[in-house]
Amino acid sequence: MFLQVGQLFGENSDIGMLLQTLFSLSFIIYLFYAQRIQAMSMLRAVEGTLRKVKNIRDEGRRVSIETVKEVGKPENDPTPDVERFLEHFLIPPVDMDPAGVVSKLGQLLNVRESTFEAEVRAIAPEASDSEVNNLENLLEASLALNIYYKVIRHFYLLGKKTMNIYVIMQIHMILPMIVREIEAYSAALQAFKDGIPIGDGVGALVAAKLMNGHAWKEVAKEMVAAEVPYAGRTLVVIKAKGPGGSVGKPGDAVSKIIGERKGKDKVKAVIMVDAAGKLEGEPTGAIAEGIGAAIGGAGVEKYKIEEAVKAQSIPTYAVAIKLDITHVVAPMVEDLFTATDRAVEAIKRMIEEKTEEGDVVLVAGIGNTIGIGQ
Amino acid sequence: MRMAETGGAESPMMSLSWVTLAIVVVIGIFSIFSLWLGFQAYGSDHPEQANYYIIIGTTGFAIVGYMFFRTKSITTKKPLVPKADVITILECASCDLKRVRDFQRGDYVYKEDEPCTRCEGNMIITGIHRRAEPQKESPRQS
Repeated sequence: MFLQVGQLFGENSDIGMLLQTLFSLSFIIYLFYAQRIQAMSMLRAVEGTLRKVKNIRDEGRRVSIETVKEVGKPENDPTPDVERFLEHFLIPPVDMDPAGVVSKLGQLLNVRESTFEAEVRAIAPEASDSEVNNLENLLEASLALNIYYKVIRHFYLLGKKTMNIYVIMQIHMILPMIVREIEAYSAALQAFKDGIPIGDGVGALVAAKLMNGHAWKEVAKEMVAAEVPYAGRTLVVIKAKGPGGSVGKPGDAVSKIIGERKGKDKVKAVIMVDAAGKLEGEPTGAIAEGIGAAIGGAGVEKYKIEEAVKAQSIPTYAVAIKLDITHVVAPMVEDLFTATDRAVEAIKRMIEEKTEEGDVVLVAGIGNTIGIGQ
Repeated sequence: MRMAETGGAESPMMSLSWVTLAIVVVIGIFSIFSLWLGFQAYGSDHPEQANYYIIIGTTGFAIVGYMFFRTKSITTKKPLVPKADVITILECASCDLKRVRDFQRGDYVYKEDEPCTRCEGNMIITGIHRRAEPQKESPRQS
């Protein structure tokens, strides 16, 4: 065999000469164009993802328009309005002088929320309050998909234009993480369209389990609270008002409740429960306990809570329910649903361990309450 | 790779550019020529070389096929928007009857739903979640 191969590559063999020339040629080409070949290969991977993201983005747009038509029953075709919505943006406040930047951001977010709500009500006049919230969430998911698509396309086209490997690498390196986020948003389309509880709603579901059967009232914008007696204590349980998709304003609710309760009714401890991103290897639905304000988002609500508890030196405890990034806005998985019972037990144990009979404890269930009543 | 402009915004289109096409054609011609040489060699003084020519020709065709199908698979791939199978759990507060059905639009946790089939009470939705997927067999550890 080796002899035959040797003969094949022999000096007198035509095919040997041909192969030798080809090898030499490819070596020279690789010497000068290695980086370009690598860039082309990476561009091809980005192109494949871009195509996939474009399909998902288009599907999001289609589902949004279809749902607006179905739920809102508008007189005119909502397509141009939905397309305008998908290009919406928010300019963050200047942070060169950081003093007061949180309130500036909070004001911008409030304006954004009210603008979105007004726009959704205008394009879906027949939608109920819950449906308006769900439509807002759906359109925001489509907007996020649109932004992902445009950013990937930007790097792809820029990389193709310049053939600069460092431009292409920027997007190529983070592509697997971005794809996971995009897949999560694509799963959110079904949840927001039909009003199915999502992974992020575990905190709200825990609060709903604690307050179910007790009288509740609205304490802040889209936030409800109920007084629940437990083991000689009074629990003030708060969550976003469901079942429409909303995260409410937990910061305002916590500040208001803490500010209103004085003397023997003073809040002695705050326990916050929220979904938290898990690390690879951690099981979905694992419960972890800690200290601090368990709340994500832009930071405005967290700031308000921290300010309120600091003013009265109230200890803040956190219960985190671990979930994967792909579960955050997707329909709630069973592991997370069953974890809410364990979280309720953990909160009860914490109350018994950390407070005394007669104390008032504020329990805040944080997260999007879509598909969860109270 | 060719880009098409539609309505001012660029979006990626067919991946088979003229350069790729030229490469595919050159490799294809080279492969046909190699196969022809291979068949010729069987009847010549060097039949042992026939196998090598045929291997080179077949490899060339394999490369062409790979390039073609790779392009096709990217361009015709369907969107990956999964649809989860969601269930609603209903419980009767009076007789503790538990029922599970497919999720229907309008369902939400703690909604008073349909009347109980066993007693006079109403069933309340106590849970909504994705149906558990069948566990994949994990590799056995020795």
